[in-house]
Amino acid sequence: MGSTITIGYAGMTHLGINYAVAGAGKGFKIIGYDPKPELALELAAGKLPVVEPGLDEALQQRAQLMQFTANVNDLAACDIVYVAPDVATNDNGQSDLTYINELIAKVIPALNPHALLIILAQVPPGFTRKINFAAHRLYYQVETLIFGQALHRAECPERYIVGCANPDMPLDSRLNTYLQAFNCPILPMRYESAELAKIAINCCLVAAVSVANSLGELCENIGADWNEIVPALRLDKRIGEYAYLQTGLGLSGGNLERDLATVVNLAAEYGTDKAVIQSFRDNSSHRRNWPLNKLFDSILLHNPKAKIALWGLTYKENTHSLKNSPAIKLVRDLAGYTIHAFDPVVKALGNIGNVQFYDSAMAALDSADVLVIMTPWSEFKLADLGQIAQRMRNKVIIDPFKVFSAEQVKALNFEYITTGK
Amino acid sequence: MLKHLNATAMQPARVVILGAGGFVGSTAAHNLRAKGIKTLEVTRDQVDLQHADAASKLTALLQAGDVLLIAAAIAPCKNGEQLLANIQMQHAICEAIKSKNADLTQVVYISSDAVYADDVALANEDSKMQPSSFHGMMHAARELMLKGVCGAVPLAILRPSVLYGFNDPHNGYGPNRFFRLANEEKNITLFGGGEELRDHIYVNDVAEIIAQTMLHRSHGALNVATGQSHSFKEIADKVVKLMAADVVVEATPRQNAITHRHFDITACRQAFPEFRYTTLDAGLALVQKEYVAQQVTV
Repeated sequence: MGSTITIGYAGMTHLGINYAVAGAGKGFKIIGYDPKPELALELAAGKLPVVEPGLDEALQQRAQLMQFTANVNDLAACDIVYVAPDVATNDNGQSDLTYINELIAKVIPALNPHALLIILAQVPPGFTRKINFAAHRLYYQVETLIFGQALHRAECPERYIVGCANPDMPLDSRLNTYLQAFNCPILPMRYESAELAKIAINCCLVAAVSVANSLGELCENIGADWNEIVPALRLDKRIGEYAYLQTGLGLSGGNLERDLATVVNLAAEYGTDKAVIQSFRDNSSHRRNWPLNKLFDSILLHNPKAKIALWGLTYKENTHSLKNSPAIKLVRDLAGYTIHAFDPVVKALGNIGNVQFYDSAMAALDSADVLVIMTPWSEFKLADLGQIAQRMRNKVIIDPFKVFSAEQVKALNFEYITTGK
Repeated sequence: MLKHLNATAMQPARVVILGAGGFVGSTAAHNLRAKGIKTLEVTRDQVDLQHADAASKLTALLQAGDVLLIAAAIAPCKNGEQLLANIQMQHAICEAIKSKNADLTQVVYISSDAVYADDVALANEDSKMQPSSFHGMMHAARELMLKGVCGAVPLAILRPSVLYGFNDPHNGYGPNRFFRLANEEKNITLFGGGEELRDHIYVNDVAEIIAQTMLHRSHGALNVATGQSHSFKEIADKVVKLMAADVVVEATPRQNAITHRHFDITACRQAFPEFRYTTLDAGLALVQKEYVAQQVTV
């Protein structure tokens, strides 16, 4: 390991930080730039604005190779500069490209005349080719950030998808050297194909999730158990062992929703069929209502004053992100109720709903009539069911992500409601 | 879905009810009066909405602060002639709304789930409006007409599913007809085996949702359905049992493909979390009691 190539990351976001730390892990000198001076200072002090397994330790261990700055001119020392901002989405999942355009406009004048510029963000097809920059030094690279696994995936990517002005020309040797350090296939293709490849990957994931949720809901009504079906699917080579087949509460996090919105908008613009993709969005909306309806059906219909305990607020475990979180939707839907909540990371919600926070998961349970587990944090899996039973007034657990095993819970005479069965 | 302008319930100054002599209108009027809400109950005798002077008569009736409940229609709308008549009625109402736009505090329109496509097996408020009947077309058109004239006046559109209740003047296929036949000791004939699943809503529940919509000064669209669908066969059997009628529930050769309709009632739970729908068993029992009371009275 070790290299004379210097890599810059512009935008110290969840994505940018994890990719930067991963690059340092391969021995490259890294310059992390963000226009916010306070963020650059915090990162230089080893304080992270995001939660990811292993990230704190990796940042500490690789600090000597990493420099954080709010001075864009420091990027002049870089051979390659990745632009890796968060691209915000609105309520319809549409991207707001204002910030990434501003960041690119700041970065380009600061680059040295030979540096490569690489767009590492979810942008709509056609975005990269429109950038006013020398085409032979401009690339687009698909990011494969998964919240909760971000560092691992940045360090051990399955493949690199690289958008180029002309895929028939060899990749710049510096980029080739950097990417080969991660020891995975490199797939060059034209810009538009690479931009759409990212969307295609997410559409395939959504298709699998939507199948799981649609058939899981059917299982809930006909006495089947989706968990019994899943192993049969995983053994089918056309589906695969890593397919997204867990039942859940629709799409959340924002990135999948963004890509569906992009496809629907492009389909409308170019007159192609959008019905399948639109149905994924509709199914997600439908599925997000599952917790509220199960709460009503199991307890609120006959006990409108029920005390509701809620574990987990983030959209998934091992993250601080609340983007499109089903838990937040539930809290909003239950605005007329006091929610007694605990989350390992989130300790306040501002004006959202009517939430009373507790210091521990168990403390939130006292005299509760129902426990709803909205994020499958690993610590919840270790909770003592006997203690839960003692603390609660009525023993009803709504557990969409199967934090507990149905058999264990039912053995303690809980009414147990989960997805897919 | 509905959004509330009143975070807590507040009584409207007055509710003007068009179609106050009808099934929904009369039940809604009774419920509003029971809550102490002032009503002006307008029937065809007072304002014939098909008459040329309907708009001016209606305009004269409306006062500042009024809520307008539109439950007037020739229903079910079965042909082009009735469709035109219904549109004409709505046109008169819309002209009055335009004239009194600054005075009205809310408009509530009683539409129908017939605005949705027949094959929408699970309907919610976002389901595509794709009516396949004159009745659905009529309500869809009337909804659009209201949206065109209400402007800043909050417009709530309520779309009930299949209604039932003792006073239903219609003899449509379902609980009402089954009760009449059972009461007259006549056999109940099903379409096919009566397999179709539908969400049947007790008319008093519709009246209560109307009241809640007014108390919260809500706007938007809401389906009014229980979230539980039952087959016509199941309902016919329940009615026969309740009425202790010595009649047969007969199947007939099926003429049409079976279609089902369910409702996702999340939006109603979000809008009115404390409201509870009458279950089918409870609703049918209430209708049966009315039949018994009627016999005692007679």
